[in-house]
Amino acid sequence: MSIMEYNGGSVVAMVGKDCVAIASDLRLGNQALGISSNFQKIFPVTDRIYLGLPGLATDVTTLRERFRFRVNMYTIKEEREIEPETFAHLVSSTLYEHRFGPYFVEPVMAGLSKTPSGGVKPFIAATDLIGCLNFAKDFVVAGTASSKLFGVAEGLWEPDLEPEDLFETISQTLLNAVDRDAFSGWGCIVHVITKDKVVTRTLKGRMD
Amino acid sequence: MTVSSVFSPPGFNFSNEVRNNFMTEKGLPLPKATSTGTTIVGCLFKDGIVLGADTRATEGPIIADKNCEKIHYITESIRCCGAGTAADTEFTTALISSNMELHGLSTGRKPRVVTAMTMLKQMLFRYQGHVGAALVLGGVDSTGPHLFTIHPHGSTDKLPYVTMGSGSLAAMAVFESGWQPNMEREDALKLVKAAISAGIFNDLGSGSNIDACIITEHHTEMLRNVEMPNERVQKERRYGFRRGTTAWKTENVRNLIVKEEMTFVGGDAMDTT
Amino acid sequence: MANADGGAYSYSLTVFSPSGKLVQIEHALAAVSQGTTSLGIKASNGIVIATEKKTSSILIDDSMLDKVAVVCPNIGIVYSGMGPDFRVLIAKARKSAQAYWKIYGEYPPTRVLTQEIATVMQQATQSGGVRPYGVSLLVAGWDINRGPTLYQVDPSGSFWAWKASAIGKNMVNAKTFLEKRYNDDISLEDAIHTALLTLKEGFEGQMTEKTIEIGVITVPTVTELEEGKIGGETGRPKPTFRKLSEEEVRDYLAL
Repeated sequence: MSIMEYNGGSVVAMVGKDCVAIASDLRLGNQALGISSNFQKIFPVTDRIYLGLPGLATDVTTLRERFRFRVNMYTIKEEREIEPETFAHLVSSTLYEHRFGPYFVEPVMAGLSKTPSGGVKPFIAATDLIGCLNFAKDFVVAGTASSKLFGVAEGLWEPDLEPEDLFETISQTLLNAVDRDAFSGWGCIVHVITKDKVVTRTLKGRMD
Repeated sequence: MTVSSVFSPPGFNFSNEVRNNFMTEKGLPLPKATSTGTTIVGCLFKDGIVLGADTRATEGPIIADKNCEKIHYITESIRCCGAGTAADTEFTTALISSNMELHGLSTGRKPRVVTAMTMLKQMLFRYQGHVGAALVLGGVDSTGPHLFTIHPHGSTDKLPYVTMGSGSLAAMAVFESGWQPNMEREDALKLVKAAISAGIFNDLGSGSNIDACIITEHHTEMLRNVEMPNERVQKERRYGFRRGTTAWKTENVRNLIVKEEMTFVGGDAMDTT
Repeated sequence: MANADGGAYSYSLTVFSPSGKLVQIEHALAAVSQGTTSLGIKASNGIVIATEKKTSSILIDDSMLDKVAVVCPNIGIVYSGMGPDFRVLIAKARKSAQAYWKIYGEYPPTRVLTQEIATVMQQATQSGGVRPYGVSLLVAGWDINRGPTLYQVDPSGSFWAWKASAIGKNMVNAKTFLEKRYNDDISLEDAIHTALLTLKEGFEGQMTEKTIEIGVITVPTVTELEEGKIGGETGRPKPTFRKLSEEEVRDYLAL
């Protein structure tokens, strides 16, 4: 059993047409024993950036606070909101600082970045536990169900999905993947980020 | 917080060390970091260096990234291919690139390849192999073209053609049979592509596409995905779900458009003329 | 490094006079106003910073002198005052820019870097056993958020944004000259000429490419930015600050 499986949990993020989605399960476990079915793993960073932190629950909480602090300091010092690309580098360098005593999380980020001409561009990224960035153009996955999520997402994802279609794709990907993962499940939450709103839905899923 | 020393090695933080060792002792092994199984190569030709790399990143048996970039920027005319622990190759090359830029600014000259090589080997030796980066460093400077390999423990080699990573044997077989001194640019690129292909198709740790980089005295050409022999074919059918398939329990809409309305309460409106 | 955080026996040399002045800072400003003139002008499509390069003897190899310095690809600095102090500040500024790059994967905005330098300069007015830096700086930079910006930093550690400013020996005259010449929609080319004309006032000796140094910020177009963002992960952004070569300076002087 690995440390990632101590509390369980999984996150997935996907790119759509001028939108992104990020979703996670809601389980908090103590190894095989379920503790909570309402454990938050996805956190808003700015209006248009969401951060998913699957992994060891104590580190999820610690890092969430660390990033909140770093982003607040950035916003005050620079008098602007952090861009998703910049935030991804911040996450990466924070984790690599702990290269030889890592936090046990695999962050997943989803957001919309501003283009120089004033439009928005979907952005997703993930890192491993020591901060190696992976900028994907389609989807990123992390957590105990990652191997299953890879398989389902590879089959279901297609380019240029509208927000509502992206919601269906990411929801079905997550639901079906966590159904085959003993350490993830107990309900799911999905955020779909578009230019002018963020829609958050909790899904009906298996509770066993 | 940003004013930290740059010339010193990256300040690693060991605050989780005790806790992590305790958990490992309790039988919870460390999760795997992303590694680049990798085929990376470099070869000398008539007017410079050609570097090559595949684009697969793995996490144990899983392919974590199908199209990652393994040829890292050091300076305009020096590049470095990385194999091993992905985060280590990424951050080590970024650190050296940063130091090379400072070096260039303070000396007022273009930094040399040996300088980058020395910085890299000294850093890797200092970490006694714990920073798991296996590198192929190539570039052209005032003293001509140079090609090095740097191993995770800090040893280096200077050779006319080199390979590294899990696909190094497959790639070296191609070089050994095909490399010649004073090759033309096109022939060198063709040879590098063949060497990477050998890795992609015969080594499990390597895959997807070919990246190459041709460095000559006055120009550096980065050829990202020069060849894509493993493109995914168009899906036969669409597997999208009809809207409304997923049953959801609650919905919350966070509106990002702020609507403002001004209501004057009592008195006359402010005179703005 | 010097014990800048103040041990028990290292008292600050900068202390308030009964009238509320910090005379050491005023003396530092006096050192600045003895330095050669430097100036900066913000144009609609860029910024120019320029300075006079003066050697105390014709025997000095002036190719070694660098008064306009590149900090990072989007920021450049020129100074008036003490050369050695400037060199130290530039080294610190460059390190700070690289430290920022290693955390955020991009170079610092002009304001953030200026603030960082200003903090270093302020520290020297309050620490034990050190003296204030004997330089004023003109920091020219470009960033996506604020566009082209020009800041002046003084020995006290205070800094302001300017449309055009001058520091050093002829600063009062040069500023009056700039006030007359400046308008908001001046182009970079015109600004370079204005800069040279301003330096010409009160220039001792011949103005040549050997005695003038110029640095410019060129504002990238939206298309250039969009293209830069595509390969933004490994390819470095195109520098927006650069020093003009001797040939280029000669061409501007000839006009």
